[in-house]
Amino acid sequence: MIRLEKINKTYFGAQPLHVLKGIDLHVAEGEMVSIMGASGSGKSTMLNILGILDNYDSGNYYLNGKLVKDLSENEAADVRNRTIGFIFQSFNLIPFKTAMENVALPLYYQNVSRKKRNQIAMEYLERFGLKEWADHYPNELSGGQKQRVSMARALVTKPKVILADEPTGALDSKTSAEVMQILREVNQTGITMVIVTHERGIALRTNKIIHLKDGVIENIETNNPDQIDFSKEIK
Amino acid sequence: MDFWREIFMALSRNKLRTFLTGFAISWGIFILIVLLAAGNGLMNGVSEEFSDQSTNVYMIYGGETSIPFKGHGTNRSIRFTDKDIRFLETEVKEVDQVSPRIYQNGFANFGDKSGSIFVQGVRPVFKDINNVKMLKGRFISELDEKSSEKFIVIDDNLSKKLFENEASPLGQFVIVNGIAYKVVGVCESEGRSDGGNGYVPFSTMKKITRQSRYWMLHFTVKGLETKEDNEMFTEYLRTQLARFHEFDPDDTSAVYIRSRQEEYLQTMKIFNTIQLFIWIIGFAMLISGIVGVSNIMRITVKERTNEIGIRKALGAKSRSILASIVTESLIITTIFGYIGMWLGMVVAEVSGNILSKVQEGKEISLNIVPSIDIRIVLMATGLLIVCGVLAGFFPARNAVKIKPIEAMNYR
Repeated sequence: MIRLEKINKTYFGAQPLHVLKGIDLHVAEGEMVSIMGASGSGKSTMLNILGILDNYDSGNYYLNGKLVKDLSENEAADVRNRTIGFIFQSFNLIPFKTAMENVALPLYYQNVSRKKRNQIAMEYLERFGLKEWADHYPNELSGGQKQRVSMARALVTKPKVILADEPTGALDSKTSAEVMQILREVNQTGITMVIVTHERGIALRTNKIIHLKDGVIENIETNNPDQIDFSKEIK
Repeated sequence: MDFWREIFMALSRNKLRTFLTGFAISWGIFILIVLLAAGNGLMNGVSEEFSDQSTNVYMIYGGETSIPFKGHGTNRSIRFTDKDIRFLETEVKEVDQVSPRIYQNGFANFGDKSGSIFVQGVRPVFKDINNVKMLKGRFISELDEKSSEKFIVIDDNLSKKLFENEASPLGQFVIVNGIAYKVVGVCESEGRSDGGNGYVPFSTMKKITRQSRYWMLHFTVKGLETKEDNEMFTEYLRTQLARFHEFDPDDTSAVYIRSRQEEYLQTMKIFNTIQLFIWIIGFAMLISGIVGVSNIMRITVKERTNEIGIRKALGAKSRSILASIVTESLIITTIFGYIGMWLGMVVAEVSGNILSKVQEGKEISLNIVPSIDIRIVLMATGLLIVCGVLAGFFPARNAVKIKPIEAMNYR
């Protein structure tokens, strides 16, 4: 599903910063992968490149079998809209839209009719137990609820890949566990999932942990979440 | 349809922002229109003031010499005589009719009533020269002048004072400085003076006061159309008078020659300057309105950078984001621009109506009734709308250009 070949990325500022130094990575369809690393290791940059939110300098990135390189803005927007779902640490909900309108927004850019997209959005909200909160604005929701809304929004277009950037970073441990549980369930429906985190407890719930250090992959740890007793795991 | 709903939602969910942007636009247009209306009112007042006066009138006044000439010293008073009148009437082809103007201050009495009066001895043509408006009876006639009748025309102020108990002042006799005059007409009061005005035939007053040197001569002219005609005629008149009265033709203080056309042109020049000044202020207001709108739009787009980033991450194309922001600014500027325009026009109209009611029937030297030119109003509003849209377009274009991840993390 995702294949990275010798990806390089440098930020040209006052002090040029070589963030990714020839990353090679393969994530198969339906895999659930986490990327770990200290801040500055390049993990967020990598996720942004995967999400076509940022470009890379050299190498090749194949998504769903297609090369993602030098896409025009419109092509990138289309790929993002149809193939990728995003979950952010700070939720990134639009403050003046209700939960339902936020979830329905990606469908607006697919030209789905208003009635249809609200109906689909409601289905997803219901699935995440937020039916009663559909008409509430983000500032009326708790952190966990907001993240569930943003998960519903990520899934509403039936994407192939979910990219999550520190999805539990702003949540307490109980809510974090709930969110991770939902993400696992989503993964089990066949959607590929890449989660960036710096918390080991989160990474341990994925099947593959990619350790990133100073712009290179240090090692890849295989993991079986089913063998871990999470009731003892301390966040 | 969906596009419009999306825009309407963005506007209605951000009421304060929408209102502030709109207010800047409404205010700019409002002030501009009110200012221009006031300026137009002033201009209309001035033109009206001149429109009921004939401009083909000359007034010459005797002064004092300031340059020695042909053995005469300075400070010699120049006064006009019957010879000058005859010369003007017979020798100068441009002159139509002449009326000297001599006067006397005093009291007018009727029975036990009295009032102060300023009596002027004039010829019939003076009615046209000074735009005397008759209310009752008639003005001095040629016959009155020829036979030196003791007839008088008094103004409304004095008429009310003296004849408040009479059915009509016409035919009554008033005593002015010991001489009885028969009232033949009542004219409109002129200006703000409390005292009365009266007109008697020139020949009558000349006999009574034994004046033969006159300070003022008024006359109407014909065939002087342009400024150049008037300048040449004035020059000719000055040299002729200089010859008769033996003063230096370059001595400008010996006689003063005024034409009403010249006065009119001078006054118009002053008011054109005022008008220009009002335009400059109005234009400055418009510019400050535009700057205000641009600023608010810039801040609005900056505030929305996060939202733009999120929308792009969710698959929005730059074009659709740009289109919605520009449409939003178009809607705000159009709606609020028109609100400002209508408010401005209503204020201008209402104040115009009130002012013309207040001024009606009152003796006011200048009628100032605000009025507006709808074309200018539409043009100004259109300009502000275009600028408002551009003010939304450029920052929005910059905002959609930045990478979505940077836009999302923008603080």
